This record gives sequence, structure tokens and C-alpha cells, in this order.
Amino acid sequence: MITALIVDDEPFARRELRRTLEPAKDIQILGECGNAIDALTRIHVDKPDVVFLDIQMPQITGIEMLGMLDPHTMPQIVFLTAYDEYAVRAFEKNAFDYLLKPVTADRLELTLERLRNSFFRQDFSVLPEANHLRQIPCFSQHSVIFVKLEEVEFVEARSTGIYVSDTEGQERPTALRLNILQQRTSLLRCHRQYLVNIDLVHKLQYLESGLAEFVTRRGRTIPISRRLLPDIKERLGIS
Amino acid sequence: MNLQSIAALSSLLLQQMCVYLVVAYALSRTRLFIPLTRATIRWPHRIACYLIFSAFCIMGTLLGLPVVSGNAIANTPAIGAVLGGLLGGPVVGLAVGITGGIHRYTLGGSFGLAAGIDIVMQGLAGGLTHRYLISRGKMRLLFSPALAGGLTFVTILIELGIDLALSRPFDEALQIVKLIALPELIANTGGAAIFVKILLDRRDSIDRQSRAFSAKALEIAAHVDGVLRDGFDQENSMRVARIIYEQTGVGAVAITDRDKILAFIGIGADHHLPGTPIASQHTIHAITCNEVIFADGNEVPFQCSLSPHCKLGSSLVIPLVGENRQVIGTIKLYEPKTRIFSTINRTLGEGIAKLLSSQILDGRYERQKSLLLESELKLLHAQVNPHFLFNTLNTIIAITHDDPAKARSLLSDLAVFLRKNLKRPTEAVVLSEEIEHTTAYLGIQLARFEDRLTVEIDIPEPLLGVHVPAFTLQPLVENAIKHGTAQMIRVGHICIRGHQDGQAIFLIVEDNAGLYDPQPNGGGLGMNIVDKRIKNRYGESFGVTVACERHVSTRATVRIPLEAMT
Repeated sequence: MITALIVDDEPFARRELRRTLEPAKDIQILGECGNAIDALTRIHVDKPDVVFLDIQMPQITGIEMLGMLDPHTMPQIVFLTAYDEYAVRAFEKNAFDYLLKPVTADRLELTLERLRNSFFRQDFSVLPEANHLRQIPCFSQHSVIFVKLEEVEFVEARSTGIYVSDTEGQERPTALRLNILQQRTSLLRCHRQYLVNIDLVHKLQYLESGLAEFVTRRGRTIPISRRLLPDIKERLGIS
Repeated sequence: MNLQSIAALSSLLLQQMCVYLVVAYALSRTRLFIPLTRATIRWPHRIACYLIFSAFCIMGTLLGLPVVSGNAIANTPAIGAVLGGLLGGPVVGLAVGITGGIHRYTLGGSFGLAAGIDIVMQGLAGGLTHRYLISRGKMRLLFSPALAGGLTFVTILIELGIDLALSRPFDEALQIVKLIALPELIANTGGAAIFVKILLDRRDSIDRQSRAFSAKALEIAAHVDGVLRDGFDQENSMRVARIIYEQTGVGAVAITDRDKILAFIGIGADHHLPGTPIASQHTIHAITCNEVIFADGNEVPFQCSLSPHCKLGSSLVIPLVGENRQVIGTIKLYEPKTRIFSTINRTLGEGIAKLLSSQILDGRYERQKSLLLESELKLLHAQVNPHFLFNTLNTIIAITHDDPAKARSLLSDLAVFLRKNLKRPTEAVVLSEEIEHTTAYLGIQLARFEDRLTVEIDIPEPLLGVHVPAFTLQPLVENAIKHGTAQMIRVGHICIRGHQDGQAIFLIVEDNAGLYDPQPNGGGLGMNIVDKRIKNRYGESFGVTVACERHVSTRATVRIPLEAMT
């Protein structure tokens, strides 16, 4: 049995896809989402095998949403689009599966056949929108809160998970791992456990031990590891 | 020494003075005198001043009357020297004085040396007075006849003193001074005053002329401004011709394009008919050679090519020049046989032609711009957003299963929408047609986003019949959805309202997304084009304005004139 989630902002589009999928008895539809925010929660909670994902959606596009998923637990993605020349070109180039709306039964059967045979690792970081996050999704019990990148002060890894601290001092857990955030945002890795928003740093101060630390504008100190210090100094233009 | 001989000498000297002033008056009518009508600071003017007053100074000496067997001359070089200094400053004054003085000295006589020095002294006196008045900021007094006369009077008194002091034998000198004192005082004082008055008159007449010319030119420029921008056709040309005819007061005015008369007004309008081909050889020549042609009826013969009884006797033909120096037509001014063509009107005519040429060019440029705009819009609409079209088809396919009647109505909405989109954007439509277009579009969007879009349309009945440009409302609604409510997670609301305020109609499209991005292309190409088209057609005070409260609302307001469409 393959579990699936349908993500599309148009209710009739969801209904039509569900109807087209109905004859396939080995596909179990876990649910439908009308936007990427709901979809992130559902993917996080229900862990579907396949997500049928519309590209054009409010606030966060389907492709942007992919950048917010951990590549290690990423479900199989089948893109849905009515018309988007650029996206379709990128999908073809990277052999990502996509369906053009209105979806014909024959074309859908081809996709399902592929899914039944093999699940393969898809690397969506080749899509620019998926590779550059403008905001970090933070999961709480039943909702997703998006913290805009310019409002992120630092990100900390603890034994209990990854936590995003914003400029208000509010701390929220995120499902994204530190190295993914380092890759897909402009946050600066300054320590094994920390990423810092360099725009919000007030000063770099040296400690007696030859170590150094950042002090943010709000007065938080963030440690800098000995190993990373030379790189950081070079990047900030400090000799 | 008797009174009789003094009176005789005075009368003779005054006669000479008359000759002198006649020469001055005659010269004042020439361009030569223009530098003299302003207190001058520039060197070329000073040199002109020096040359002219030196000439007058020498002439004053030459026109003098020898007295006492040629030892002395009763004469008037003082005027040239004093005025040269007064108008040209100390340097010019001294230079005139030295020139005149040397000339006088070479003529000899027992008074020769003294008279020479006199003239130098007089030039210097004029120059110093000039400097004094300038430093006191009393420039106006330089051209006061009374001052010039008074100054000359004083310098003549000093002159007589010098004569007495330097000329020997003293008795003879005294005799001569007694004889010439009164005539010289009268002739020089009066002569200097009248000379300055001549300069003053000349200046006033130049001022008056240029004032009248500027006033006329400005008046015409203001009246014809923008008329030809709307098109170089018979109607607009007639308006321009009428303005020029009234303002210049010439006998008749005509405007032609390259082939025919566009407008004719004034004497001979009975047989110079607008719409008829150009017959005049002068005009054809002006067009082919891009030359101004002035047929004054004397040197260049003028005869109306249409009627032998035509009263017009002279004509000025000026080509109107457009892009790439191409002649696009002519403007013609006529005077009847009974009147002379004034120079002012000739100059004005050429100025007007330049003004009109640039207007016609501007107008063409504007129209090309608007054509481009229309084609942009056409492109925008002929090409229905494929994303919209395929999503609509997908929605209709889905609905067909559950609600065939609803599917049918959506298909007819789509048909209306596509048909209206094929309309030419130049067409004027009534508002109700725009609303129909918008409603068809909204019918589809409401089906696609049935769970998160609501729409409210409130346009008063009387407005439904007013004329608006096609594609005014729908692009704004499309914008409000595409860049507004479609980007919202919560339910979007679009409100379309209309009202009339005085002579303007307002159409308002408001959404509750508040996501308008004022950056270029951020707010949607459609909105910019709607705005540009309206401004282009009705002027800068109309068009689309956008007010956005972030995340609360975006309100686009269209302002168009009531019933301005034709």
C-alpha cells in the first residue's frame, strides 16, 4: 500500500485528482491540503510515501516547501501544474515526475507504475526556490510557524532538537537539521551547535583563552569554535 | 566787440549744430547706434563708443567757425568728448578727448594748444562723471539730457578759463573769449542735451518694438500650445490659423500639408479653399527645397495662382519641418496689395513655424507611444494566461461529474471571457460591458477558489451606461486576485465599487490581501498599462492610483472623465 497526500490550493483540482486516483487500489489517500503550511504539518505528522504537489500556492509555493523538508525523510514528490514552462523544463531536466492538469488517467497510470516499482532519492536542491529559504518553518504541536530569515537571531542544536530563536527572544523547535539550514540560508555556522544571523551581530569579542564569541544586538552571546574562528574572521574581513 | 556779432555768431553756430544733430539723428536710425543706447561695460561696445564719439568730436571741430583770422574756432567738439566720457567711462572719455584734442591742435592757431587741452579735459570730465554716477548707482542719470547739458555747460566754462590762461597775447584771447563764450555755451549745452535725447528716443523705440514683438510671440505661443499635438489635420490647422491671423493682424493666413490647403483664413478665403491642392509655385518650391520664401510683390513677384482678382499682394511661405528634416507642410502669411509686409511679422512667422513643427513632432511621438501601448495591451489580452485557462478547464472537468449544470454555466462564463478578451483595446465600451467581462472572469475564479474567495460588486445603476475604455476593470480585478487574494491562506474578499464625483467617474477594486508591491512590475503589468492608457488618453490627472495597507487591503482606484469617450 502506498500512502499519498494531495496538496493543491484549488478544491476541484484536489477532488478531480482524488477521483482519478480512485481506481488504483494500492494507493491510500491520507488527506488533502489547500496550502503548503498545512501540507508541512501533515507530512510531518502522517509521513506519506507520496505527495502530489501543486506548484502555485499562496505564500509558500510547492517548490519552496520542498526546501523546508528534511531530505532524509523526504517523501516521493509528484509535481502538479496547469502550466509553468520554467518549472516543467526543470523537472524534465532533473527527471522529476510531474503531471499536467487536467490529468489524464493514462498519464497518471504511468506515474503510479513508476512509484510501485521503486522509490528513489530526489535531490530538489537543484531547484533554486527549494535551495534558498526565505523563512524557516518551526513546528509546534499542531501548527507550523514561519520565522522570516531576517527575524532569525540564531539557531541552536541541543540534544532535544534544533531551536530557532527570533529577534523577540522567542524560541521554537524546527524539524530542519542544522546543516540543511546552513546550506539553504545565509545563516553563518560559527559553532558545532550554532548558526548565527550575521546581520544581527553587534560585536565579536575575544576571550582570555584565545577564543572568541559573538554578541548579538539583543545582548545574547553565541560561542565561536576555535576551528571555525579563522574562517569567520576572514569572511568578516577581520585580520 | 558788439552784441550784434555775438548774436550773428550764435546763430551761425546753432545752424552748424543743426547739421551736426541731423547727422547724429540719421546715424541713430542705424544699427551703429545700438551700443550707445546702454551704459556700456563690454570692450567691443566701448570701442564702438570711442570711434563714434571721436568722429563726432572731430566733426564738431570741422563744422566750427573760424574767428579772429583763424586763431580760434567757435565750435562744438565738447559734445563728443563729454558724451563719450559720460557713456563710455573715463578711459573712453580720455581716449576721445586725446583724439579730438590732437586733431584740434594740428589745426593750429593761437588757441590751438588750449583748445586741444580743453577737449582732453572735457572727455575726462565726462568719464569721471560716468564713474561717479555708476558708483552711486545712478545709472539712469547717464541718459539724462539735463545732466548732459549741464555738464557740457560747466566744461565750456572751464574751457574758456583755460583759453584765457594759456593763450597769448592775453588781450586777444580775452577778445575771442568774449566773442565765443555765449555762442559756445548755447550751442554745446543745447547740442549735448538734444544728442542724449536722440539716444533716449532710439532706445525707447527699440524697447517698444521688442516688447511688442515678445508680447505677440508669447501670446501666439500660448494660444497654439498643444493644438497640433492632437493631429496635423484640417480642424486643428484651422484653429491655429485663426489664432495667428488674429494675433499678427496680417491679411491672411494659410496652413498646408505637402499636398493640399488645410486651413485658410482672411482676405481671399472665398477662393483659397481648404482641402484643395496646393497651386502656388512658391509653396511647392518651399516644400521641395525646405526654404523660406518671401514674395514681396516687388523683387520677387507675387500673383495669386487661383484668381487674377485676388487682393493679396505679398506672401511669406515657411516650411514646417518634421522628423529627419522632412518638410511636412507649410505655413503662409499674406498681406494685401495695399499693405507692406512688416519685418516683425516675417520674423514672427518663422518663429511660429518652428513652434508648430516641434508640436507636430511631439504629437506624432505621443501617438506612436500610445499605439505601442495599445499593442502591448492587445498582446497581454490576446494571450490569455495559460495557467488560468488550464486550471479553469481542470475545474470544469471536475465539476462536470457532480454538477453538469454548474459546469455548463462555467463554460459559458469562459466563452464570454474569451470573447471579450478578443475585443480591440481601442474600443470604447459602456461600463456594463466591462462589468460583464469582469463577472465572467470572476464566475470562473469563484469556482476555482470556492472555499476562499468572496466577491461584492456595487456599481450604481446610472453608471452602467457611461463610456469607459475597454479593458479598464477586468485587468484590475485580475490583478487583485493574482497578486492579492490568491496569495492568501485565509478567505480573500474583493469589492468592486463605482461612483461619480462631479465630472469624474471612480471605479474602485479593493482586496483584503494588502500585498501590493509598488516596485516596477511588482503590481502587475496589467495595472500599469491600464494607468498609462488612461493618462495617455485623458491626461495626467486621470489614471489608476493604488493605496495599500500592508496585509489589510489594497485599493486600486480608476479615475476617468465622465462621457469623455467619443
